[in-house]
Amino acid sequence: MTDLPIGANAPLDGPSVSVLVDLPGGAEIAVTALQIYPGGKVRGDGDMCFYGQPRISGGAVTLTQGASPRFDIDLARVPGDVEKIVLTATVEGGKTFGQLGDVSIDAGPHSLTIPVHGRSEVALILAEIYKRNGAWKIRNVGQGFNGGLAQLATHFGVEIADDDGSAAPPPSAPPSPSAPPTPAPPPSVKLSKVNLTKTEKTVSLKKADGKFGKIRVNLNWNQRVQKKSLFGMSRSAGLDLDLGAFVELSDGNRDVVQALGNSFGSFWAEPYVSLLGDDRTGAITDGEWLEINGDAWATIRRVLIYAFIYEGAPNWRETDGVVRVYVPDQPEIEVAMNEYGSNKGMCAVAELSNEGGQIKVERKVDFFGGHKDMDRAYGWGFSWKAGRK
Amino acid sequence: MAISLSKGGNVSLSKEAPGLKNIVVGLGWDPRATDGQEFDLDASVFVCGENGKVRSDADFIFYNNKTGADGSIEHMGDNRTGEGEGDDEQVKIDLSKVPAGVKKLAFAVTIHEAESRRQNFGMVSNAFMRVVNAEGDKELARYDLGEDFSLEAAVIFGEVYRHNDEWKFKAVGQGFNGGLGPLASSFGVNIG
Repeated sequence: MTDLPIGANAPLDGPSVSVLVDLPGGAEIAVTALQIYPGGKVRGDGDMCFYGQPRISGGAVTLTQGASPRFDIDLARVPGDVEKIVLTATVEGGKTFGQLGDVSIDAGPHSLTIPVHGRSEVALILAEIYKRNGAWKIRNVGQGFNGGLAQLATHFGVEIADDDGSAAPPPSAPPSPSAPPTPAPPPSVKLSKVNLTKTEKTVSLKKADGKFGKIRVNLNWNQRVQKKSLFGMSRSAGLDLDLGAFVELSDGNRDVVQALGNSFGSFWAEPYVSLLGDDRTGAITDGEWLEINGDAWATIRRVLIYAFIYEGAPNWRETDGVVRVYVPDQPEIEVAMNEYGSNKGMCAVAELSNEGGQIKVERKVDFFGGHKDMDRAYGWGFSWKAGRK
Repeated sequence: MAISLSKGGNVSLSKEAPGLKNIVVGLGWDPRATDGQEFDLDASVFVCGENGKVRSDADFIFYNNKTGADGSIEHMGDNRTGEGEGDDEQVKIDLSKVPAGVKKLAFAVTIHEAESRRQNFGMVSNAFMRVVNAEGDKELARYDLGEDFSLEAAVIFGEVYRHNDEWKFKAVGQGFNGGLGPLASSFGVNIG
């Protein structure tokens, strides 16, 4: 293992490289890989590999999310005119890297550490994988921007949209009140996640052909609850949160998809919603996943996504529960359930409804004593009996 | 068309421009585009005698001692940020007036306070050294340093030296650990 300090570079051997990014805790950090062409800029949205687009250039660059996100780069398949691929990280939530901790990168035989003590950057260029005399090398860059993602994006020629959806004006041409209306801005990538909140409850996702691909829904929660058990006794089960969905199809058929009652659903057939296993052991660190067949969206009327505490005291604030909805080519949608200290075990998180072929995502975050109460509140009309999984 | 040299290469300036008298040596680099501590790079010239060392401390030409070699060499001053196109720092030399005992002029660039700012040449991009004929501003030779060094805080970019009756330019690209002080000492300058 060779250690490359900031400024150092080394050749990369082999046709591909896996780069594991070890991030400090204490804040959410988004990592992005950008394909850079001569001139130091990206050419378009297709050059950005990030949570909203984890695979670019036909899979030459992919991002696998996790506690330590990983970029896999197939160097032979990177487009020939790409000069370098820069790996970046941005802290969210108003913090700086100096308040967190060092970032380190594991790239095969090379390890890169970026000390951040006393530094004010919000966005960092971690490393660059670049072509020199026809061969690929990696460099520890370790430099960044106090202005965060917007400044980083501008540096690499990326147009990013503000939260209100309008493109940020280029810094070189500030619009003046007397100036004639500028032409429509080029298509821009929305880098910010959509956080559905009490005040911003809904978002609509449009797609011309009405096929949304594989829609993935994730429920994750903080496992630390397990470690905080009373009297130092570790409870074996700890807290078990379950993800589930009520599905209503356009023909009026209704179905429940959840681990309880072994009703895991189906992706390819009705109800076109399937639950991937059940994480009771905590071995799966990224929580529970539900998949919705977005190509069959035309036959789906609505999907109510809920979470319930199967075991453990109902304390939603402690769980830090978050449901994320990933629709291909759409911004990630996030609904947090940690704002409430409800003592009811069931939480209706969000509803996806079919509105003229589009997907309307509405935040619910309403708490109920159980399935029956929730059913009644939204008028689904299932019949309920007790069950164990 | 200027001659482009790679590390270790050399070219006869006298053959490129017969009757060459006044030259400008330009040194350049790109400033950082990111936030954080500024980079302050300084160019220095070591006027060396036969043994490759300075003849006296006055042969160390830098931001605090801008002329030397009987007035034949003039450092045009410090550019604090590296802003702007082209050369970041320039040194003017009247070759016809360089004393006969001078065999070599070594051009080095150092990062000011590199250690406390935790900076090195691996963080500097597009560094180059070029030699321009002051008559007509024609670039005679150029050396783009690329990646011939990385973690050093001082780099000897190149040398302008006598070879028989000619003046030649050699691309050196040699990194040096430590800053300007240790570098100057290695050339025989007494650093106080």
